[in-house]
Amino acid sequence: MTPLPAGHPPLHSAVAQLYSAAVYGVPVAHGLMLAWVLFIVGLIGVLVRRNLIFILMSVEIMLNAAGLAFIIAGSRWGQPDGQVMFIFILAMAAAEVSVGLALVLLFNRRFRTLDTDAANRMKG
Amino acid sequence: MGYADLLASLPLVLAAASSVAVMLIIAFYRNHGLAALATLAGLAVSFASIVVAAPYAPRNVTGLLVIDGYALFFIGLIFAGTFAAAMLAHGYLEKTLRGEREEFYLLLLLAATGAAVLAASAHFASFFLGLETLSVSLYALISYPKGSERAVEAGVKYLVLAAVSSAFLLFGMALVYARMGTMQFSGIASMALGTYMGDPVFLGALALIAAGVGFKLAVAPFHMWTPDVYEGAPPPVAAFVATVSKGAMFALFLRYFARVDIHQSRSLVLAVAVISIGSMFIGNLLALLQNNVKRVLAYSSIAHLGYLLVAFLAAGALRVTASEYYLVSYFITMLGAFGVVTVLAGKEAGEMEDIRDYRGLFASHPVIAVVFSAMLFSLAGIPLTAGFIGKFYVIAAGAGSALWTLLIALAINSAIGLFYYVRIIVSMYSNVEAGYPGEEAAHTGSGEHAVFGAGQMGGAPPVIAIPIGGGLALAGLTLGLVWFGVYPPTLLSIIQKTISSLM
Repeated sequence: MTPLPAGHPPLHSAVAQLYSAAVYGVPVAHGLMLAWVLFIVGLIGVLVRRNLIFILMSVEIMLNAAGLAFIIAGSRWGQPDGQVMFIFILAMAAAEVSVGLALVLLFNRRFRTLDTDAANRMKG
Repeated sequence: MGYADLLASLPLVLAAASSVAVMLIIAFYRNHGLAALATLAGLAVSFASIVVAAPYAPRNVTGLLVIDGYALFFIGLIFAGTFAAAMLAHGYLEKTLRGEREEFYLLLLLAATGAAVLAASAHFASFFLGLETLSVSLYALISYPKGSERAVEAGVKYLVLAAVSSAFLLFGMALVYARMGTMQFSGIASMALGTYMGDPVFLGALALIAAGVGFKLAVAPFHMWTPDVYEGAPPPVAAFVATVSKGAMFALFLRYFARVDIHQSRSLVLAVAVISIGSMFIGNLLALLQNNVKRVLAYSSIAHLGYLLVAFLAAGALRVTASEYYLVSYFITMLGAFGVVTVLAGKEAGEMEDIRDYRGLFASHPVIAVVFSAMLFSLAGIPLTAGFIGKFYVIAAGAGSALWTLLIALAINSAIGLFYYVRIIVSMYSNVEAGYPGEEAAHTGSGEHAVFGAGQMGGAPPVIAIPIGGGLALAGLTLGLVWFGVYPPTLLSIIQKTISSLM
């Protein structure tokens, strides 16, 4: 912990923790844990939702969780690579959603619903 | 990035440039034939530029791409496969699709570019970008016949599953990066050799990446989408997904593990072996239950990736040789088999999917029936076809590393596979009920040019006009099938040159 400036009043321990977090950044493990939680929330969304729009939104959450994990990893190693990957992910997610929404429109026109259970013309 | 780097990556640059060129051509003058020709020319030029790039290999281009003999081999294979798919697609789109057909080729070129980048990638960033260029183009290609309910359904299924698998892949990559501090494959490989092999976080990240890779390869636990997508997609696209998309991913997978001796980690070997055996059995057993030729081919492709993983688990130089030979024969055979479905589909006969549609095909289209039989024999691994030599090398590689369990599974599955391939062949050569309307028309020639409005009464296949492009593609594929099946040294000498840089 960096020494406090001269004349600074002594800090309460919780405040000291916040101070150190602001100076040293969030611990990597906490960041990755947040990314894991987001990823699993997205995955559960994909698995339980039946509406195509919501499924696409849940996929976006999963992709953003991966992006967050990249940024945390990049900051851990002090490299810009993680943020570069995040920008790639943003661009890719935009491309994917634009094609995805076009498909959702087609789907709605063909099946008159957004419920994925309607997509059962082919059986495996 | 210097002059030499540019020349080394010329095939990729030209493929990307030709997709831009095709886009401009479509913008200024919309014509189906012209778009197809421009695409074929672009692919041919990109393929030819491999000769220009070859003297500069092996070379790292900007740390993102590695252009070596191995990458150039797969880039060539990808462009050749796309060339065949584009030729097949022309006649199919002409016959079946109203409205705009030109963008199909643009998407096909973009997908081929993505696949080529994937095969040459040396870094997570290029891996990811290549994969997404391939995937996003494929979403649109699969649901290209937008009037068809099944195509839209297949497109949506592929979209959701591919997006989820990319998310898995990305998250795995991020965890590897957080652990190791590098995204370069060579750096990761050298670190993985050391302390990280037993590291739980690293193995967890590897499992996430494996889910993403396994989805693209359509191996056992991740294969659910395959039959539906192959059935719903237009057959040339199904051929493309089965060959180019899988081949590019397998090329990367093999390169990724080429420097790591996976036999150091028993759990990793066990996982790949389980996936391999599972793919073989699931693919072959479920194929037995299908009556739709496209679904049979889909399950067959799942089984074939299982065979290929046997070669992957082998040790030594034979592993790469066997994988490359097997992939070439698989490309030729799958493109040919879907090619037959493609050239027969159309307004005369519908989609030609059901095995019953193929009854009496030998009587009405002897050439096509013989070609289809050759392709199916190659899938089954019968001698004198490329599939046999491919399987021979896989078994040789497996036997060299004493992978007996896997080889026994492979032998059992080859026997199961034979059953459903022969079932299609028997239906092609079987007699149709006497006195069906198309009988006279059937004797007017090889069926290459005959057009008769024979109805589908009596279960007889109507006489179908075979499109020129599709016919030429099939002829070329059959030639390759027999050539590589009878005289392997041609291909082997090329493979030997390409793998030297990998070892």
